[in-house]
Amino acid sequence: MKIDHRDMMVLGDEAISYGAIDSGLKAAYAYPGTPSTEIVEGIQAILKGNEQGRIASWVANEKVSYEMALGNSYVGFRSLVTMKHVGLNVAMDPFMNSALTGIQGGLVLVVADDPGMHSSQNEQDSRYLVDFAHLPCLEPSTTQEAYDYTCHAFELSEALGVPVVVRLVTRLAHSRGMIKRKEEMTAVESLGVPKAESKNDWVLVPAIARKRYRKLREKLKKMLTVSNAYNKTSLSGHKRGVVLSGMGRAYFNQLCRENPNLKEYNMLNVCAYPLSLTNLRKFIQSSEEIFVFEENYPYLEDKVRDMGQGKIVYGRRDNSIPMDGELTPLLIKNCLGIEVGESKKIPEFEIPSRPPKLCSGCGHVDTFKALKEALANLGIKDPRIFGDIGCYTLGVMPPFDMISTCVEMGASVGMALGAAQAGYEPAVGVIGDSTFVHSGLPTFVSFAKSKVNVNLVIMDNRITGMTGQQPTIVTDVFEKMAESFGLPPEQIHILTPLPKHHEENVKYLEKVLSQKRPDLIIFRRECIQALRKGLYKEIDKPKE
Amino acid sequence: MVDFNKPKSVIIAGVGGQGAITVAQLVLGAAWKSGYYVLQSEVHGMSQRGGEVNAQIIFDKVPVTSPVVTQGEADLLIGIEPLETLRYLSQMSKDANIIASSEPVINMENYPKIETILEKIKSVEGAVLIDTLKAAKELNNKHAGNICILGAASKYLPIANEVWEAVIRERFESKGEEVVMSNIKAFQYGKKFTEA
Repeated sequence: MKIDHRDMMVLGDEAISYGAIDSGLKAAYAYPGTPSTEIVEGIQAILKGNEQGRIASWVANEKVSYEMALGNSYVGFRSLVTMKHVGLNVAMDPFMNSALTGIQGGLVLVVADDPGMHSSQNEQDSRYLVDFAHLPCLEPSTTQEAYDYTCHAFELSEALGVPVVVRLVTRLAHSRGMIKRKEEMTAVESLGVPKAESKNDWVLVPAIARKRYRKLREKLKKMLTVSNAYNKTSLSGHKRGVVLSGMGRAYFNQLCRENPNLKEYNMLNVCAYPLSLTNLRKFIQSSEEIFVFEENYPYLEDKVRDMGQGKIVYGRRDNSIPMDGELTPLLIKNCLGIEVGESKKIPEFEIPSRPPKLCSGCGHVDTFKALKEALANLGIKDPRIFGDIGCYTLGVMPPFDMISTCVEMGASVGMALGAAQAGYEPAVGVIGDSTFVHSGLPTFVSFAKSKVNVNLVIMDNRITGMTGQQPTIVTDVFEKMAESFGLPPEQIHILTPLPKHHEENVKYLEKVLSQKRPDLIIFRRECIQALRKGLYKEIDKPKE
Repeated sequence: MVDFNKPKSVIIAGVGGQGAITVAQLVLGAAWKSGYYVLQSEVHGMSQRGGEVNAQIIFDKVPVTSPVVTQGEADLLIGIEPLETLRYLSQMSKDANIIASSEPVINMENYPKIETILEKIKSVEGAVLIDTLKAAKELNNKHAGNICILGAASKYLPIANEVWEAVIRERFESKGEEVVMSNIKAFQYGKKFTEA
């Protein structure tokens, strides 16, 4: 099918959405996570009313997303799975093993790293995990490349018979630029299930897994042929060389505009992995001084340093660029010794920071207030609350000071239970409904069977609030779920976090928190942002 | 298209929920429509809950690859909140222009004295302070402030008046002709603040 509107101004994430749709995508799965959320949101918006059997769906977590994409691939369709960097930790099991099973329909994983931790608990670099799985990866540096590489990734996936990863970082995911789409949209077609002679390839029992692993390692040569075609080297005989990838490449290319002499440096553009060490060695030999600009761990830099004994290498390891945090044009300029323009004379003034906060009228505020007062009335003046990931993590700040931990999705349940078993009572964990579905459920099975004073507060706003109010997969079922897991009805409580119920909620909590038993306390009230947008209409529609 | 030998860069600063990203998208759209290559970087996610928000736009007559301005080299600051204007001054170049709203968003306990903030902004070379509260009253449109500031800032951007009106129209079309016209009026009103 011909594509009519080919020039578009889109987010990096949306460039991926278009790339996937234009490549014959059948299904995209994800759990929302900044900065990757807008990919599946984009697909939903583009397909709205014209799905024709194509799927763009939020699912429970990243592991589930990956498995569903893999199932879609097994029956021969092209599928996309997207997540933020820490989401890949959750999806690690199917991710690693899908490298061995291989794919049927093209399978593309887009993983968005968050250097600088704009909205994340760490800044892990996904390239190491891709390496770990022995899979190929493309790394775009502009919105156009984000589009193009997504299209290529589906082709490559089918050509190589493995999932292909596209790695983004926040700056690209959330930058807006122009794309030119292809002329023709690929039709959605199934390649069918794996043929009879290869159907056991997907059964990773030891005898087959060994063969499949060997097969995967044998694909390295082909993968290198592919990556070599992307990773353009230019050698000019200059004594300086630069190794560039992702935003490092984008920033460096921009600097060339005002500093044309930079174009004379020897250049190795790394747009695809695995990186050929033979080519890298050749490149290193060509220069005396080598600068490595990449986001965000010194992944390429370490390879350069290993191979470039005797060369002067500038990057993060020597603190030419700080070991942590986002790469910036200024850091690159300073590293290269380029003069920075004169900046504005500004008045001296201490500018207080303006951290994000819970919305005025948010139910979480009432929950924290009630919980804090109840614990104080029980004589606990400095409560330690096991927290989780969501808007309510903002409860760490004054006046609440009610979140003592934030580790990963679902950690609150396990940590509260572990603390209670060690004798810390009353142990309290707080978690949102969507995070509970994401990763709290398995732990809750142990929670319900325990005999200690552990209390799980589900801050239930019936939606995935923080990432932009996507639907939670299930709503209003936690009480039934808890009961079927064996938690007696008198240990399951539903409260409404509203100022007018404050006194009664405090009294109620005092009673519950004093009991030596596991209790589930559901504070249920709609997210006011979502309520304003009318998003509950869909959620509360009678189910057929 | 106007010729210039280095890319133009604009920073838009405000508080989550104020509409900084909308202003940014108008600048982005206008630059694109004018035939420039353009990139924009913006902040999503949790900062939108009343925290500081900024967007950066770079455009040029040759392809742009960086969506991020080099710190200390930006050409124009559109500050739709005074404290946030102060925060982003360090991003600006010596000759940068600054168009700032005088209307604070006070959602924190340690918000400095507004008089002090406004004095500080006034002391900066190239800064124009706009009383958006007064503008909103005079225009009888409580949402006029941002577009008014954009109008004032437009003097420093090589973009034709009809392009601005076209992007404003596109942006607000779905809300009806009245909203479109009141925003165009706010834009023209804002332009007066920077007319020679």
